[in-house]
Amino acid sequence: MAAASKILRRVAIIVALVAATSVTADLKVRTASRMSAGTVVRAASLATTGSRADLQVGPTRIISLVPATTEMLFVMGAGNRIAGVSDYDRFPPEVAKLPKVGGLIDPNVERVISLKPDLVIVYDTQTDLKQQLDRARIPMFRYVHRGLPDITETMRALGDRIGAKDAANAAAARIEAQLSAIKARVAGRPRPSTLLVFGRDAGALRHIDASGGYGFLHDVLELAGGTDVLGDLKQQSVDVSTEMILRRAPEAIIELHYGESLKTERIEDERKVWNALPSVPAVKNNRVYLLRGDEFVVPGPRIVIAAERFAQTLHPQVFGR
Amino acid sequence: MSHAVAAHRPRVAVRVRLAWTVAVFGTIAFLACLLAPLVGSTPIHLSTVFDRSLSYADNIDAQIFWVARLPRVLAAALVGSSLALAGVVFQALLRNPLASPDTLGVSAGASLGAMIAITFNLDFSLFGVTAVPVASFIGSFGALGIVYGLSAARRRGTSTIVLLLGGVTVQALLSAIIAFVQYLADFTQTFRNVRWLMGSLDVASYPPLLAALIPMGISWIGFATLPRVLDLISIGHESAAARGVDVDRFERVALVSASLATGAAVALAGPVSFVGLIVPHLVRLLVGADHRLVLPASALFGAAFLIGCDLVARTIIAPLELPVGIITAIIGGPVFLWLLLRRS
Amino acid sequence: MLKATDVSFSYGGRHGARRVIDRVSFEVERGTIVGLLGPNGSGKTTLVRILAGMLHPDSGHVVLDGASVMEMSRRDLARRVALVPQETHTTFDFSVIDMVLMGRYPHLGPFELERPADLDIARDALDATGTADLESRSFRTLSGGEKQRVVIAAALAQASDLLLLDEPTTALDVGYQFEIATLLKRLNAAHGTTMIVSTHDLNLAASLCERVVLLKSGCVVAHGVTAETLTAENIRLLYNVEADVQFHARAGHLTVVPLGRA
Repeated sequence: MAAASKILRRVAIIVALVAATSVTADLKVRTASRMSAGTVVRAASLATTGSRADLQVGPTRIISLVPATTEMLFVMGAGNRIAGVSDYDRFPPEVAKLPKVGGLIDPNVERVISLKPDLVIVYDTQTDLKQQLDRARIPMFRYVHRGLPDITETMRALGDRIGAKDAANAAAARIEAQLSAIKARVAGRPRPSTLLVFGRDAGALRHIDASGGYGFLHDVLELAGGTDVLGDLKQQSVDVSTEMILRRAPEAIIELHYGESLKTERIEDERKVWNALPSVPAVKNNRVYLLRGDEFVVPGPRIVIAAERFAQTLHPQVFGR
Repeated sequence: MSHAVAAHRPRVAVRVRLAWTVAVFGTIAFLACLLAPLVGSTPIHLSTVFDRSLSYADNIDAQIFWVARLPRVLAAALVGSSLALAGVVFQALLRNPLASPDTLGVSAGASLGAMIAITFNLDFSLFGVTAVPVASFIGSFGALGIVYGLSAARRRGTSTIVLLLGGVTVQALLSAIIAFVQYLADFTQTFRNVRWLMGSLDVASYPPLLAALIPMGISWIGFATLPRVLDLISIGHESAAARGVDVDRFERVALVSASLATGAAVALAGPVSFVGLIVPHLVRLLVGADHRLVLPASALFGAAFLIGCDLVARTIIAPLELPVGIITAIIGGPVFLWLLLRRS
Repeated sequence: MLKATDVSFSYGGRHGARRVIDRVSFEVERGTIVGLLGPNGSGKTTLVRILAGMLHPDSGHVVLDGASVMEMSRRDLARRVALVPQETHTTFDFSVIDMVLMGRYPHLGPFELERPADLDIARDALDATGTADLESRSFRTLSGGEKQRVVIAAALAQASDLLLLDEPTTALDVGYQFEIATLLKRLNAAHGTTMIVSTHDLNLAASLCERVVLLKSGCVVAHGVTAETLTAENIRLLYNVEADVQFHARAGHLTVVPLGRA
């Protein structure tokens, strides 16, 4: 009896300590996030000063915590200058051999610094990391991502920053031309109201997360000749109820799946899940599409592929499928 | 002698009060179930819903009623009444008016199960119920098992303290593991985890409701044996035992029943805050402390309450919807503060 | 009425660590008030629990009116023996009549609700303890003495044969102590209620109990009529305290005045 209560007491103390530590760690992150923008500006100016010093050569040991910028660097011919990438980088295949330094939520600061980078591409929201790099006097490039136009704008800015201006501009122009071409091909065609689903519970119409009229995927949808059925809500993503879907009656439904989340043998079953809403035109007319691919998650150069796939899906007549 | 004094305030027999309580609260719950499916951000007409001339596939009103609204209202009724019942039982069992279905970690176990299913992309189906609710229920069962084992390991002595300590420990431990699982998740999975934790009653089909009815039904059988016993136990274990109550056995029945009800509710709709905490208190304000009245009244009032909260959640900022947990927190928080201030 | 023979009990089973009660034997006659006295750790509380049927002795028998307590169902035992604990804390806001009606639990079936007869019994119990006018009051709002009287009423409603009182006045001030002692004497005189009172309070035992059983380290060191058993020697034996025991003419019973450590 006494032994059991002793053990129980010890367990309770250990758990309380663990809980307390995680709470204080969480508090630390929160407090750090409230740092003023002043640090960022200073860091940016530091970065600029750093780059001006060796603009002719440009940084040769770049760490990219953002998969999109990694792809951009490869596309502008600077792939061989990358010293480290994030855990979530998957493309191009060369990144498999590169050191991994964490991601948006959990960047491994020690690893980053140990790789002796001369430029680190960080998310604008990684305040803690930016502080630490600032203290270590490592130049940074701030990545901010919003809509479709930001992709090529970022490419140009990044190219300028690393001294690959011409290659970057050319690549950006290519992408813009390809996107315009897609837009032109679907011009004049009837634009189906489309529900763009980012995720839902497997096998059920629950916790459906869809585009609400803002963000790069929404932009791509509109460019590819579809109208976002929830576009008036002006939100990046919306938790959409079955009632709203029935009411809005989209003419097409596109579901995006990334990584390993949808196996081939499950595609038909997942499509059939929508038969619970037979009055929806997309269901009635068999226009429920499940698309798999990483190009939908990475707002980088491969966005052209995403745009093509959307356009092929919505306007098969024009794209000869 | 003093009977004359007492006769001036005749006490209404408990059977009469019970009948009235069930009648009044039952009517409220029934009306809620009946009217809520007809109200929403999209106007529908009952006549259209039941219009036989339209084929079901073309009848938007019918689909909104049968797929979008009715399962949702029924889910709200089941979840609301289960959480309220579990709240009443936990408060009596732990002899603590601040106890709730979350206190002993059953809810955390259910959340952990769901997080694991979402983060590791589990994909299977059991009797028409998908991976996330199934994993969630298994998680709640696991948590119950640990708490039960901890409390059963101690045969004599103040089992309430051990139960509470064990349960709070399990709750803290599971919360830490949940944080770890979330840490492992990538960005989209984290997003889905967070959404799940806000609670959602939009079940959109009937199999999950029927599946939830099984553990809930079992818990109702357990609850039915408890009312008077909860009164006696809430005064003290010794007093209850001296009055012939098999305290150990009833505590086990109470723990298992309340945990089954909580696990099923959280598996069905995710964790919905405050229902289990404040519905028992509101009901006690209306019917008194006798658990023979409080239990059935809480079940019925809990159902009506959550149906009402969900109604607000899905209409107040139409066309967008709020997670129902936000409405229950907005109502529950201030009510809870008021209850606390009242007591002091 | 109640006979305990060679009762032994250890926490942790027959061969457990601490033998709390060691071959305790005594007898309680119907209609008497018997005091159970002893220092902390003497086993008083455990003995009370055994008599109330909450614990089973490892060996020995407890017989109530010829029937073995161990073989009785909980309900049967609860109908005949009621416990008045030292303090009663309610988690929820029960009324006085609610508290007393709970004493009727062993007399009702599992799903049975109280009938008018039960309500009458409850009201009679309130009468007997002088708390009838408190019937609709909230139990929580009562004074310590009122609460204890209500709890005694609940015990009467449960079982008028034998009351077990575990330190009934320890948590009360001297005024309420007197109130309770007077009430218990009156109940015993008017209704012949048998009582076993476990207490620290030597003067309470002296005023209330006809007979006393003295426990030390789980053993009975003396038992018998109070006047003969509650002596200075026995008090020294029990508490290591030097005391002066005198008959107090005005009070009408023995009084004990502690003088110092022995």
